[in-house]
Amino acid sequence: MPISDEAYAALEAIVGKENVSRNPAVMDSYAFQWLAELVRPELSHFMPRPVAVVMPGSTEEVQAIVKLANKYKIKVKPHSTGWYHWAAPMYDDKDTMQLDMRRMNKIEIDEKNGIAIVEPYVIHAQLHAEAIKRGWTCNIIGAGCSCSVVAAACAYMGMGPGAYYMGGHAENVLGMEWITPAGEIVRSGSLGSGDGWFNSEGPGPSVRGVIRGALGQRGGLGVFTRCAIKLVHWSGRTDWPVTGTIPAYRLPVDETQRAYTLAAPDWDRWADLYYKIYDNELGFIFHRQFNLAGADLAPAFWLMYTDPTKKLSDVPAMVADPEIAELTEEMRISFQIVLSGRSVADIELQDQILDDVLAETGCWKVERFCDKDMAEFTNVYLQRLGHKHINFVWVGGYIGSWMQIGTPDWVKGYIPTAQAGLARDAKDGLLVQCGGDAMMGPGSSYPGGGGVGLEQFVSYDPNDEASTRAGIKHMEDAITDALSIGYPPGKEAMYLEMGHSDDRTFKKWAAAKQPFTFIFQRKIKEHYDPNDIGDRMYNYIPEEYEPAK
Amino acid sequence: MEGLKQALSGVVGDANVFDDPAVLESYAADQSFVLPIRPKAVVRPGSEDEVQALVVWANQTGTPLVPVSSGAPHFYGDTVPSAPGAVMVDLSRMNRVLKIDVRDRMAVIEPGVTYEQLRPALAAEGLMLVSPLAPRADKSVVASLLERQPTLVPRMNYALPEPLRNMGVVWGDGTRFSTGESGNSVLDIDAQWNAGRRLTDPKGPAQTDFFRLLTGAQGTLGIVTWASVRVQLIPGAKKTMFVTTDTLDDLVDLSYRLTRLRVGDELLIVNGTYLAALVAADGAEAVALRASLPAWTLIIGIAGRALRPEQRVAVAEQDIAAEVAARGLKLQNAVPGVAKSRIEAALEGVAPEPHWKLRAKGAVADIFFHTVLENAPGYLATMVDAAVAHKYPVADVGVYLQPQHQGVSYHMEFSLPYAADDKADAARTRALYSDASTRLMAEGAYFSRPYGEWADPVYNRDAAAKDALRTVKAILDPNNILNPSKLCF
Repeated sequence: MPISDEAYAALEAIVGKENVSRNPAVMDSYAFQWLAELVRPELSHFMPRPVAVVMPGSTEEVQAIVKLANKYKIKVKPHSTGWYHWAAPMYDDKDTMQLDMRRMNKIEIDEKNGIAIVEPYVIHAQLHAEAIKRGWTCNIIGAGCSCSVVAAACAYMGMGPGAYYMGGHAENVLGMEWITPAGEIVRSGSLGSGDGWFNSEGPGPSVRGVIRGALGQRGGLGVFTRCAIKLVHWSGRTDWPVTGTIPAYRLPVDETQRAYTLAAPDWDRWADLYYKIYDNELGFIFHRQFNLAGADLAPAFWLMYTDPTKKLSDVPAMVADPEIAELTEEMRISFQIVLSGRSVADIELQDQILDDVLAETGCWKVERFCDKDMAEFTNVYLQRLGHKHINFVWVGGYIGSWMQIGTPDWVKGYIPTAQAGLARDAKDGLLVQCGGDAMMGPGSSYPGGGGVGLEQFVSYDPNDEASTRAGIKHMEDAITDALSIGYPPGKEAMYLEMGHSDDRTFKKWAAAKQPFTFIFQRKIKEHYDPNDIGDRMYNYIPEEYEPAK
Repeated sequence: MEGLKQALSGVVGDANVFDDPAVLESYAADQSFVLPIRPKAVVRPGSEDEVQALVVWANQTGTPLVPVSSGAPHFYGDTVPSAPGAVMVDLSRMNRVLKIDVRDRMAVIEPGVTYEQLRPALAAEGLMLVSPLAPRADKSVVASLLERQPTLVPRMNYALPEPLRNMGVVWGDGTRFSTGESGNSVLDIDAQWNAGRRLTDPKGPAQTDFFRLLTGAQGTLGIVTWASVRVQLIPGAKKTMFVTTDTLDDLVDLSYRLTRLRVGDELLIVNGTYLAALVAADGAEAVALRASLPAWTLIIGIAGRALRPEQRVAVAEQDIAAEVAARGLKLQNAVPGVAKSRIEAALEGVAPEPHWKLRAKGAVADIFFHTVLENAPGYLATMVDAAVAHKYPVADVGVYLQPQHQGVSYHMEFSLPYAADDKADAARTRALYSDASTRLMAEGAYFSRPYGEWADPVYNRDAAAKDALRTVKAILDPNNILNPSKLCF
């Protein structure tokens, strides 16, 4: 039902009339979310509509809004930059106000200590740009540089192509400022003691352990208003001299850096190569990126993309070109790596060691993609992750299936099934036919190696009913496929869950291997969210589902 | 008492229950200033099942349990009972190295596994564990990691709990649980290992970092029964270098730079007193040594792993030398006054008995906290002021700075040796310890591991943390069985 005039007036009093809205058209713009059609009735592109959108400008305003939400029993769903449908309200029958955090966009950089303190609407591109000027850089999440740092660090996962060397945000977050659903402020680690933003652990047991784990709370349990992130030394030029023709930007590769595409003859040797990269401590950015276009199409696609005279419709002809066909086979199992050295001597030695490793494993550099033009394109793409439109390039929509994270040996165990599953599901032409392998992902989502994940990019047309239904079927199939080979479900299960009822979801968690996890989280929710203004994006099982001990 | 012994024997067997007064006395106090309280019994469980049964029994009988894994000496009071009638749960029998995987560089160990035990086991596979500075031989690896003791290689300290990853735990309510990646599938390490899982990801399950709740908890929330740890390759080439200065300030900029570049393995700063204590055979030698040692020493271990290790070391040395020279300092192959091999032994080995911190005067009080490096000289001045005010010999104050989390924060430690059998010296040191801690805390030193008397002021500064942790405690240990009265519980 619509928000009451009284509650609306109270919101206006907190943030000013210009920063709150209940205009239906504006509300629909917030309900229109990527992936909605996969889980909503009649394949609607709209998630539930919020009753109001409010744009706070400070921690104090967020706190006041949340307290007001408790008074009027309105759910609160914060939204910084959004990514996936769970950024939206989850209920058609429960009033939810959306907090649009765009007014909170300040960055503060402690250059001496390599720490950035950011508000929720600071995106990675902004932080990266400011950091580079100062000789620092930062981990940019896989979802791209247009995403909020706070959302990634505090509320979701925070891994990306640089996580292998730089650490993911789970490792890099140095302090979090959290407004609980009851409206209290919790600050983690040294920040809570008033000692600064440099240590996210403790005092004693780490309070941050309550706030985020493998996942953050995805807007389901309060609002994050600031966080601090550890920066990483940048050995390259601080003026970031980008060139090239839009959208194929190029960044010259500094004398202390290298940008390569490497390839393996088979998945066994792909895994061997990953392990040797870990053991030899090579790599600054390490990601299987280009393959998101699909192994059958990727070389042609990227050569088209970087050639200003070509367009998307040229891809089929390029694929048929014998030279490109040969290249397609050469880099069928490939990935990108950017090396960074402390000095010229250091990078030259890294280069030698990489050559040794390639020789030992029978792998190779893909020369065409290591040429100057492609190396410079690779450099800017991987360093900045600013080409996220590519994710949607084939037909306007994509699903990420699989993406279970583990060691290279473990991950290679699901690759054949993931490939066969996509080839099967795309056979009738309702999903983009790219060869079965459109898997991409980090060389390691955890610093130092050991946490590979491969996400299968399944492209569908969200405005075509048959294609959308094929996408849904693929997600269901991927779950079945994974279970059939002894692997847990992947990202697709998280996507689909958005369309399930609370009851169905709670029952699933109650049947988990360790339901205690969700009992613990329910008790945390009871403490911090007594009026239930959050939603089940913070996973818990209500008492009635509590399994017997 | 017989009833108690019988009950405990029923769980762990007669041979693993101890109530001999001498044994109980050995658990009643440690090197810290906390009030000695003798436990009622000591048990040594041999399995996760026995630990769980003990916790269930303790809940039924309202008996406090105090977990302990390492051998003596203990330093911080966390394993001294704070309540009468406690039973010590000594985990030293659970000392199996359960798994070592070279390709994935992971190991799984029980809590009773010590540094002395694990090092050769890993070395046999070409592996090593990044460790704290000169741990005592019978220090539990798991306990050290749970305490978030600083480790020596900042660039491999990807997050402060590193290299700790997954754990098996029995919570205070008796629930058996696996943290991190291990908690997402069938709760059997062998089954997980056989399925190719290597328990590398510490986060979760779900939206809670349970492993983070266990670190710094002093055994108040759960009893850890196994842990997976990330290990590293043993370097194929290694070299130790030094930079010595007259003041700490002279090393600040260089240390910032080297940690930022992530060059080298071990990186730490010590003053002459601390270095002397670390390498001296006894107190007399420590006193003699410190007079001849430089005031401050930055120790840099340079290592090369896997391919071309010698070249790795050579290039790293060249890069470090350039940074050192740029600051008008000198990179040295040795510290004047002490054999290099003795320093390297302290970096790489376990410490021989008696513990090196006790050799000078027989007892020690350590004050330690986290800070950003630029604040360290100020904290040093505060410590010196406090020592002067309490007429404690400033020359006796050992100082250790350990970069952590890839150089973002530093463990800063002031080590105050004193003669335990000299009541005046002990009283003076205790007064200094309390006063200096208070002053440092007021100036922004972050006491992230609030042992003993630090707990109250730390949690009084952070009411939200106290509330959060008490909420967690009420869920995981509702009857307050585990190490009651520690921290804010």
